[in-house]
Amino acid sequence: MNEEKSGDRKMKCGDESKCFELLESILDGELQDSSKEVLSEKLAKCQPCFEHYHLEQAIRDVLKTKCTKQAVPTELADLIRQQIQDIK
Amino acid sequence: MSEVQRRKYSQEEKNAIFDGEFMPHIDSMYNFGYRLTFDGDDAKDLVQDTYLKAYRFINSFEQGTNAKAWLFRILKNSFINEYRKKSKQPTKVDYQEVETYYNSDDVHYQSTSDLRAESVKDMLGDEISNALNSLAVDFRTVIILCDLEGFTYEEMAKILDIPIGTVRSRLHRARNLLKEKLQGYAQNMGYKTDADEENID
Repeated sequence: MNEEKSGDRKMKCGDESKCFELLESILDGELQDSSKEVLSEKLAKCQPCFEHYHLEQAIRDVLKTKCTKQAVPTELADLIRQQIQDIK
Repeated sequence: MSEVQRRKYSQEEKNAIFDGEFMPHIDSMYNFGYRLTFDGDDAKDLVQDTYLKAYRFINSFEQGTNAKAWLFRILKNSFINEYRKKSKQPTKVDYQEVETYYNSDDVHYQSTSDLRAESVKDMLGDEISNALNSLAVDFRTVIILCDLEGFTYEEMAKILDIPIGTVRSRLHRARNLLKEKLQGYAQNMGYKTDADEENID
């Protein structure tokens, strides 16, 4: 889990709004590799950024992996194909 | 002129596009419909309606572009234009809740939650799903598109007909609302939050 000790990080972020926006864009895959270096440096130095990043990451992970999925009704695909046949 | 000259697909090409590019997304489409309506029959109607429209307007689909995003956009529009109109469920509440949040795209990002990553990871699928389902439909939708379906901001902007800046701010707000719900569950379930810890003597 969070192996790094929080002792080495500052406890207050100088520009939380800007940092959090950047972190969230990175997590959403919207920023390129160059920002990854900035990221690891930030996370190593700033406790609020570190915590925010891991919380946001956990939220995205559970949404992706744990949300209940509905099985598609078996007849639906055939029903659609039938209707397409009718309008062809 | 940016207007692309549309070619007409032959019958064989239409069939190939429909079977090869449209039908593989039926699972995602059904789940999107279900998460919008919370009803199996309504979801079925929405998906059928979407595929019929997709077939009818297949000449305006450009091969090689993102079929899934194209289909999601049709389903979203069907939901807004047809389902919501005939639905007896009141949607006023949604709009009010949404409007009060939408005065500006300019969001101040800040920590709004004492929720911990560890507590989130321990949560059950039902809790996550319930929290998501409790959000107003516009907030629910951006989370579904981004986190469950993996669309980019740009694709979401096209699906929802809103600017990318609005996608970003709406997503941020949606996740903050989700965190509030999850935090409520976390406290009820006795998961640790930072707030709890501060109260320990």
